[in-house]
Amino acid sequence: MSGATRFEIGLDDPRYPAQLKDTPDPPKRLYGFGQISALRPGLAVIGARKATPYGLSAATMFAGWAAKASYPIVSGGAVGCDQAAHRAALAHEGTTVAVMAGGADIAYPSGAGALLDAVAVNGAVISEQPWGTRPARWMFRRRNRIIAGLSMAVLVVEAGLPSGTFSTADDALAAGRDVLAVPGSILSPESRGSNRLISQGATIITDVTDLRLALAPLLGEPHDEVHIPGTVISESSDSLLTALRANPMRADDAAVALGTDVITITRRFGLLEAQGMLKRYSDGRYGPA
Amino acid sequence: MCAHCTVRTGTLAGVEVLPVDVEIDIGPGLPSFAIVGLPDTAVQEARERVRSAVRAAGYDLPNARIVVNLSPGPLKKHGTGFDLPIAIGLLVATKQIPAHPFEFVTAVGELSLDGRIRPIPGLLAHAMMARKNGCSLLASREADHYVSLNGVAYCGIESLAELRSGLPVAHSRVTTHDRTPKHAVDFSEVVGQDGAVRALVAAAAGAHNVLMIGPPGAGKTMLARRLPTILPPLGEEERLESALIHSVAGLDDTDVLSGARPFRAPHHTASTAGLIGGGSPPRPGEASLAHNGVLFLDEMPEFGPATLQSLRQPIEDRLVTLVRAEGRLSFPASFSLVGAANPCPCGHHGDTGRACRCPASTVERYRSRIGGPLMDRIDMVCEVWRPPPALIVANRHGTTSAKLRDQVSAARERAARRSTTATSKMSGAELISACSMSGSVTSDLEMIANHHHLSGRGVIRLLRVARTLADVDEKDCVRSDDLAEAIGYRCGTVS
Repeated sequence: MSGATRFEIGLDDPRYPAQLKDTPDPPKRLYGFGQISALRPGLAVIGARKATPYGLSAATMFAGWAAKASYPIVSGGAVGCDQAAHRAALAHEGTTVAVMAGGADIAYPSGAGALLDAVAVNGAVISEQPWGTRPARWMFRRRNRIIAGLSMAVLVVEAGLPSGTFSTADDALAAGRDVLAVPGSILSPESRGSNRLISQGATIITDVTDLRLALAPLLGEPHDEVHIPGTVISESSDSLLTALRANPMRADDAAVALGTDVITITRRFGLLEAQGMLKRYSDGRYGPA
Repeated sequence: MCAHCTVRTGTLAGVEVLPVDVEIDIGPGLPSFAIVGLPDTAVQEARERVRSAVRAAGYDLPNARIVVNLSPGPLKKHGTGFDLPIAIGLLVATKQIPAHPFEFVTAVGELSLDGRIRPIPGLLAHAMMARKNGCSLLASREADHYVSLNGVAYCGIESLAELRSGLPVAHSRVTTHDRTPKHAVDFSEVVGQDGAVRALVAAAAGAHNVLMIGPPGAGKTMLARRLPTILPPLGEEERLESALIHSVAGLDDTDVLSGARPFRAPHHTASTAGLIGGGSPPRPGEASLAHNGVLFLDEMPEFGPATLQSLRQPIEDRLVTLVRAEGRLSFPASFSLVGAANPCPCGHHGDTGRACRCPASTVERYRSRIGGPLMDRIDMVCEVWRPPPALIVANRHGTTSAKLRDQVSAARERAARRSTTATSKMSGAELISACSMSGSVTSDLEMIANHHHLSGRGVIRLLRVARTLADVDEKDCVRSDDLAEAIGYRCGTVS
């Protein structure tokens, strides 16, 4: 975490982000490095650490589109959905802000140092904790209100139940922010939280048009027409692919579901994965790539 | 009074017995009993056992200066097997028993204080040394079954007292062993694990190392314990090699001699010396005891990292080389490695209906405990999931071991017909020609290799497994299906 300029701004500093000041419990002081201008109203993209490829691709797709539409992407720098959102924003040369639980100069998680350095070039890495503070468990919940406060809307791409992502959604509601959620399979435990949010009234986001309609009143129309490929789902006549698209499965479960033997399924998985149609999850299930 | 006598015996060095001559000199001087020639404590204690046993068997011990020299001098001697040759030497030197019967005899055995003779570890190795030198082996009668080796003239005696009337007639054993070993377990007891059974059949057919990953109670250990039942019985040479190691380690070698492949399952607290061999004198470890059989490491990530990594060299060289100050010793260790591991510390990552409580980083760390270089030597990783309870309750039977064993034998024969080199030892070029892939299969191979960023070694490993899978399916050419199945056995550990 070198190179980037450090800054400290108090509540009465004119550079203090106005939207954050409006929240019920704004941090007294913000420590960070990078560009202060990046702290303008943005879109928070958050989700589970233990993300499935589905959650990761949703984070990548929506954060990428929003970054290209020049909305700042706010997230927490954690593994999984958070990092996918930061990366997507960087890939589209957008602005992104990482809000750390511990001190802004402490790279957490430990492998995120290079990513955070890249975030600070056009965006910012900030924290309410003084320099050098080691992250403690209670700080993460406190941190979530800053993520919600900095942005005008919070997009939950994938969350299980129970989930820390929920506390950010609560903070968003407390600060009067919109909560957006990406639906998932009703059978997938990793999407149970985001589906719950939708049933509780969160705005459902199924494609970039939904996201655009949700964000335009809050953050203004995007500068120009932004196209992100990958939102078009190709039709498939393959029963295995269709089954997995609805619900990622392990080879043994897929064999039962399709009434065939596990060796046939293993072979199909092997070829479909190499063709880029399927992806293996870390827990052994296969789902759409 | 002045008398000499020399009796042949031997001492263990690795799995070999080196010949040792026991020289006895009884001469004038103050009464004493000394053993020289680098004896260890056990050999020194022979003095007391010999003294008591000789008296108990009704002989006299001369009241003179007794010197026992174990030659060659620089070789360290250990064990209790020197009791019997020392006693015989004493009795021959004092003319209490005749000398001529012992001219072409190698004697080895421990004495009890009442003159009985006990067996010692490594008798099979002693028997082989005796056979090589054209001698007969004199040892305990209790150990009759241990030395069931063709062409060995074996004299079993119960007590020192029997030697008074000379030597019992040595008999050469011609043993015929039951060719099909009996097993207490069978694959038919395994239900709903078709994928894992298939992987084990392939592992048995191609001598691949395999790692099973799955939640606790899914049946990993059950599957592994049944692997020996589908391996073809040991060949004549292999039996001897494996039995020799068992004999040296002081274990029962009757099962191995009857053709059953060894199955060793050391606990995960095993030390490095326990796993690959060591100690003083060096003893074979579990890796050597599993020679020609299966080394099963249950809970593989729980093994000590250094202990686990010590297996890399034996897997590569198929033997363990121990280097000690006294010199180098080699134990054969050509085993199939079968590992079992939980997917994460809590064991339920990916388990249906059970939530895993481990953070993603912990899962990652747990899996990396086995280590890249060792994972590189594991050709197949298969997942073993809890079968649906309905299948277990239905009490149906899976494929029997006999049927699977036929598949394995047929695949091995097919591979042997194709090439004299085992698939697991083929070079890249040999392997590619052995796979005889058509154009479309080759392009599928390229696609798979590109998608998974396979290294050269990764491609070779994939082809090895694919070749074996095709052999199991009785196909001459490797098909795309075989490649796809083989890549499925990499389970996210693709490299």
